[in-house]
Amino acid sequence: MARRGSPARLVIALSVAALLAVFLLYTSIAGGGTPVVQPSELTGQSGRVQLSGKVIGPIVGSARSAAGARFRLRDVEGSATVRVLYRGSVPDQFQSGRHVYLQGALRHGLFVAKPGSLVTKCPSKYTAKKS
Amino acid sequence: MTTLALLAAAALAIACVVYVARPFLSEPEPDDDVLAGLDDRERRRLELLEERDRTLAALKELEFDHRTGAVSDEDYRALVGPLRRRAASTLRALERSPGPSDRQRTHVG
Amino acid sequence: MPELGRAALVIALGLAVYACVAGGYAAWARRRRLAVSAQSALLAAFASTAVAALVLVAALARRDLSFAYVAEHSSRKLPLAYALSAFWGGQEGSLLLWLLVLTGFAAAAVALGRRAGQDIIAWVVPVLGGVAAFFAFVLVAVASPFATQPAPAEGAGMVPSLQNPYMLAHPPLLYLGYVGLTVPWAFAMGALLAGRTDERWIVATRRWTLAAWAFLGVGQLLGAKWAYEEVGWGGYYAWDPVENAALMPWLAATAFLHSVMIQEKRGMLKVWNVVLVSLAFCLALFGTFLTRSGVVNSIHSFTQSSIGPWFLAFIVIAVVVSVVLIFVRLPLLRSQVRIESLVSREATFLYNNLLLVALCLTVLWGVVYPLLSEAVRGQSLTVGPPFYNFFLRSFGLPLLLLMGIGPLIAWRRASLRALGRTFAWPLGVALIAGVMLLAAGAGSSIPGLVAYTFAVFVLASIAFEFVRGTRARRALGAPSWPSAFGALVAHNRRRYGGYVVHAAIVLLAIGIVGSSAYQTVGERALRPGQSMRVGDVTLAYRGLTERTAANASELRAHVDVIRDGRMVARVEPGKNSYPVERTTSNEMAIHTDWLRAQDVDVIADEINPTSGVVFFRVLVKPLVNLIWLAGLVFVGGALIALWPDAREERRLALRYESAAAGAPVAPPA
Repeated sequence: MARRGSPARLVIALSVAALLAVFLLYTSIAGGGTPVVQPSELTGQSGRVQLSGKVIGPIVGSARSAAGARFRLRDVEGSATVRVLYRGSVPDQFQSGRHVYLQGALRHGLFVAKPGSLVTKCPSKYTAKKS
Repeated sequence: MTTLALLAAAALAIACVVYVARPFLSEPEPDDDVLAGLDDRERRRLELLEERDRTLAALKELEFDHRTGAVSDEDYRALVGPLRRRAASTLRALERSPGPSDRQRTHVG
Repeated sequence: MPELGRAALVIALGLAVYACVAGGYAAWARRRRLAVSAQSALLAAFASTAVAALVLVAALARRDLSFAYVAEHSSRKLPLAYALSAFWGGQEGSLLLWLLVLTGFAAAAVALGRRAGQDIIAWVVPVLGGVAAFFAFVLVAVASPFATQPAPAEGAGMVPSLQNPYMLAHPPLLYLGYVGLTVPWAFAMGALLAGRTDERWIVATRRWTLAAWAFLGVGQLLGAKWAYEEVGWGGYYAWDPVENAALMPWLAATAFLHSVMIQEKRGMLKVWNVVLVSLAFCLALFGTFLTRSGVVNSIHSFTQSSIGPWFLAFIVIAVVVSVVLIFVRLPLLRSQVRIESLVSREATFLYNNLLLVALCLTVLWGVVYPLLSEAVRGQSLTVGPPFYNFFLRSFGLPLLLLMGIGPLIAWRRASLRALGRTFAWPLGVALIAGVMLLAAGAGSSIPGLVAYTFAVFVLASIAFEFVRGTRARRALGAPSWPSAFGALVAHNRRRYGGYVVHAAIVLLAIGIVGSSAYQTVGERALRPGQSMRVGDVTLAYRGLTERTAANASELRAHVDVIRDGRMVARVEPGKNSYPVERTTSNEMAIHTDWLRAQDVDVIADEINPTSGVVFFRVLVKPLVNLIWLAGLVFVGGALIALWPDAREERRLALRYESAAAGAPVAPPA
């Protein structure tokens, strides 16, 4: 079979370019992702972040009430803490001492979480707990 | 309990070693120890055989697709000619390349 | 007994290393007895690993808490089935399961693959031995399942949500899939090492790849079903890194399954195929690395063990080996064949491959983004479901469409006029369906409407393929329609099995679209006696009860599901408290309406036992049960495609006999 200038190469190149264009389109519109931080890294973060840490102390109030649930989150390995206000559905396993992560933003020293964004990690392997 | 475990482990180890050494134990002085493989001529032949099978299968599939109506009459006519020619040339090339029976004949006698 | 387990693993490690080193030398120096010896080493490694596995199983069965692993992952109170499933419940045990499956598959592949040619097998053995050696090394030196301790009074127990039939099957099936992908990769590397450019390695591993891919798919579906029923947030997939860990190799394997068909039919894309199988294998390793090392924020958390760096190093080695081998053999692999027409089945397969790989790489990007951004910017950034869902739509919808187009186009070339004729019926059916759906209100979600229309198109084109084929068989002389149909499928199992699998994927797509784009959600706090309306159902809350089960105390809210004024079901969502494990779990209630294939999920989000007030979260998910139905159809299609075909086996055997002369004949004395 004679080797001729194959249209296939051109189409493949165009397709790859098209796929990349879709990709770039998304990232330019939706932005580059949410920062992942622990309580010690919160200072200076003004926008939406994903905060992960360990729940310490009591959980005051109900997440489903208007006032929300308040608790403290601490660095997994560290001592910095932050106060958190959360409203929304509460996953299994959510209790003091668990590792969790949630989305939200720091407002006047209080981390106000996005409703429903709380995810609990279970300390043992192979479990998934999500709200 | 521990002695039992260690004995079992030792038995396992010995069994494995014996099993792995079997080819050497059963054939201490082999006639030949060379691994079977394909030389260049055989590889070329294998590629021809694959090409032959491919074109024959493609002809069969084209036939079937034409019968089911997936391929139109003009498309069928356009495609079947080159496929048949390719099949024919592959078969001719295969006839020219020596097969296993040829090799044995040249080795013996 | 733990000493036996440890010793067995050390023996397995020794055997795997021998298989790798001796096997490699035997292949390079063409030594027959040494090659056979290396093959035996793989088999013996399986036997040794099996002994280690039996030791662990026995310890789990008799709840021997002096084994640290048993104490950490089970308890005396745990029912036997779940106690045994604790085998794969943790790091060390799951690694042992991996090694067991790997050595088992390696032994089987080498024994069954003899027809692949001694020269390829000779190289496959050291590759498989090398992989086995890595896992055995980790089990011996880094994460041993046989650590002992003074036996505590009671074990830590198993997380209640894992005590579930789905969790008995989900990890083993996934592992059969992950490990199964090692075999085609090893054969590909073996063929490259042997300098072979023919498709024998593909023929030898075709069923392995299909089976591994099917296991991976079913394993993921079971995981999704478990998440849906057990975790109970009303969803089945959250784009969590551990979920993506299984999705990525599955997407790569799907692309590979399609592109090998092109190599088989046209003799092209040899390089691409080896690249894809390497990608699938490395992603499988990467996936398991992610779930074990805890490097990304995920629902899974493994305690920070030192296993991460070892895995990463091994993945790097696997990638480097693949890349180097491909580069070295590149000149051999280049084929002269070109795609003749952009409107041909090869071309649609190529587009399908591009989309699948694009989706796979997008998911990979999303998964590693936190790590990359941390390394580059010092700040870890994460992307969430919106990112993944956007690309699932962008790449998934064209893929759906291609599934319908592919079967209707001929190989090599199809003229547009011919296409018009073959497309007419399925296109017509799809357009009518689209209009009907629009009238029924599906326009509330444009991507959903488009997806539904494409789905109808694909199902119609599959149906037409079956009808046309059966008619042709009948014309060829089959005595009846059923026998014509049977003959059609029997004569071309891979093609028609593939169509059934496509139908399953379409059902999956319809189920996913219905339950996400067209779902309705409602949330309210109710007192006993109050009710709420969500979608087309009303839920009336009757009251709370509490009861005690074997290992939990269960709080349940009684809710009536009312549709069109009639009560159709009584559901009992609630929460369980487990004293031993000191946790609570959410028990979501699902009412399935089989006629509508719709689920009403009722979650008792917050319960106040004193006042009886419960905060309910209700989801009405249309068509969600098609997802699980799709799993069954998927298995059926895969079985059809996998089914051995005596005629084809004979043809292949004949081909390979004609090529090889066998062992060289001794020169006359």
